[in-house]
Amino acid sequence: MDGHSYGYNIPISEKTKSVPWEEKVRVIEEVKSDFRFKEYIFGCLNCGVCTASCPSNRFFDYSPREIVQRFLEDDVEVLYDMMHEYIWACSQCFTCWIRCPFVNNPGGLVAIMREVAVRNAFEATKDLLKPYGRVLLKVMTTGNQLSADMLQPDFFPDWGPKMADNMENLRAKRMAIPFDVGKSVKTAWEVSLETAIEMYTIWRETGIFEMLEKLDPNLYNVIMDIVEENEERYQELYEEE
Amino acid sequence: MAHGQRKEGSILMYPEKPPFPLKEYNAHYDHIFEMMEELEAKGEILIYRITEEHQPMYVYTRTGRIKVIPTNKLWHHKSCGQCGNIPGYPASLFWFMNKFGLDYLNEPHQTSCTAWNYHGSGTSNPVALAAVWLRNMHQAWKTGYYPLIHCGTSFGSYKETREQLIMNKELRDAVKPILKKLGRLTEDGRIVIPQEIVHYSEWVHAMRYKIAELYEKEGKPKGIDVSNVRVAIHNACHTYKMIADDYPYDPEVFNGQRPAASTAVMKALGAQVVDYSTWYDCCGFGFRHILTEREFTRSFAIQRKLKVIYEEVKADVIITHDTGCTTTFEKNQWIGKAHGMYYPVAVMSDVMFAALACGAHPFKVVQLYWNCSAYEPLLEKMGITNWRELKKEWEDAVKYISELEKAGKYDELMEFFKTYDLYEPYSRTSTGKPKASATAAMPLFKS
Ligand code: SF4
Ligand code: SF4
Repeated sequence: MDGHSYGYNIPISEKTKSVPWEEKVRVIEEVKSDFRFKEYIFGCLNCGVCTASCPSNRFFDYSPREIVQRFLEDDVEVLYDMMHEYIWACSQCFTCWIRCPFVNNPGGLVAIMREVAVRNAFEATKDLLKPYGRVLLKVMTTGNQLSADMLQPDFFPDWGPKMADNMENLRAKRMAIPFDVGKSVKTAWEVSLETAIEMYTIWRETGIFEMLEKLDPNLYNVIMDIVEENEERYQELYEEE
Repeated sequence: MAHGQRKEGSILMYPEKPPFPLKEYNAHYDHIFEMMEELEAKGEILIYRITEEHQPMYVYTRTGRIKVIPTNKLWHHKSCGQCGNIPGYPASLFWFMNKFGLDYLNEPHQTSCTAWNYHGSGTSNPVALAAVWLRNMHQAWKTGYYPLIHCGTSFGSYKETREQLIMNKELRDAVKPILKKLGRLTEDGRIVIPQEIVHYSEWVHAMRYKIAELYEKEGKPKGIDVSNVRVAIHNACHTYKMIADDYPYDPEVFNGQRPAASTAVMKALGAQVVDYSTWYDCCGFGFRHILTEREFTRSFAIQRKLKVIYEEVKADVIITHDTGCTTTFEKNQWIGKAHGMYYPVAVMSDVMFAALACGAHPFKVVQLYWNCSAYEPLLEKMGITNWRELKKEWEDAVKYISELEKAGKYDELMEFFKTYDLYEPYSRTSTGKPKASATAAMPLFKS
């Protein structure tokens, strides 16, 4: 049968089947060679405590126990297949981590797998992260992940009619706060330019820009335009002094 | 080192006897404090120590360790989700800081932790996360103000990053050249690592008796009474499930078997803390889910938390201590009406509730207008029965500001703000006013 003889019964996707075996081994080895891997998996009783307390397990076909078991069995085919969509169900709550009698961290394993999937530009990853572009744009260019102006009511109709009231006169509302918080609506706070410039160096040096270029070239171009503009602005300010 | 043992001057401290029954598990986390001291002795790192000027207070962690909580001279490491989406959250914290006459720095030379992005999208890596964290910590250290982390995810991520750094030379070796390039090492080339990573909820926890005193002194004379308020606590996953051994536990809260912060301050205020069966469940935020798997987030929040809290214990309010949970719970109630699953309950963080109890303005300070859950019945029950007038006062102020701004009357605006008790148009910064902001946006005030 497709899939595994017990537990993980999701048929192996065509996407995974079409990838050469050596490539799948390489990707799984990339996950296993992460320095965190040995700190996240110690053994497994197969007790299912993690899955029983996992919020994502309640609404998705998803089980942290399966992930741990597949690593212990070195089931490359299933692990590779999980990296397309399966692992993206995880809520990153780490209930599994605090409850596992072995102190395994299945949520942490998922974090490594996601990172490797993004770095290797998995097609599914590109689609999954499309709606996440606004956050990426904000964080890469300003060092802030979220701001008041991102909460457009059109994007959150399920949050109810009060959202529209909230956004009305937003700037004046934020100015009326009697402390220096929430004043900027484009960023969570006014991140100083010199701080943002330091952030760009971090993204460059750690390969994050490179990762983005592979993931979403259009978004990457928009981000780099803003980054370069800010770097020029900083240079000018620096020269003025 | 274990209970009853003390090494003079060590940052790892235990009381004579365990303060509550300790669980049997393979906790190795506390050892990192000894490893930090070893790395400092070798000249690899500098421990940013909490000193007398930070007015330390002491709490216990899950392992019974004594955790030092600085209460003064704090460097506010803000939360992007709070500032962007729950402005009354940091405003309530600053309100307390000013009320207690504490010294702090609220400056723009800081970035988000970027961990929300990481947990949601995987588009970062441990070296980048460590560099971002250490850049922020170095900035705090340079100023002499001790970092107080507002966001639960930043706090959890920073705790984990610190453990990784201490345990892995390869990570230290990878991050060090980046910090060097940024000028973010000490003069003798060491990485700055704080003695304790401190979440604001730990500060609230340590300050709970002072907060209760303020409630007696200023809240009660206004007719505020929280003794009948039924409070359901939601502990945030990233505060107590990530690096579980580094968060407060206390004999007064379930005999040290559940996280103590938030619950303990509610008890100190005399509110009725009610227990419910899914207390350990997450909120459903899910990092990417709140944006891209919305039906999961709302289903989980409604079915596993709101419904349970409403039906089992009829709480008046859910008390949170993190950004994502607060948003998830208060924004996902209205949609329940579409399925006959409407379970209205007020939602706010511990510090917002505490500020209300101590008499803070529900709209100017606690910013409740932003809340999509029904907070009005809670205000009534707390004895803040004049909330309509207070709301009108707020709305009038917003209208006036908006009109002045549209007319470009900045001088009049500045005059108006002088009527605010605690108003500071710009906070002090460690380097004077910032030269420019990352958004290239016009500053809000022409000063
Ligand atoms: S971290 Fe992921 S796998 Fe673990 S319990 Fe939470 S949702 Fe489940
Ligand atoms: S809780 Fe731990 S030991 Fe039990 S199934 Fe999950 S990973 Fe395995």
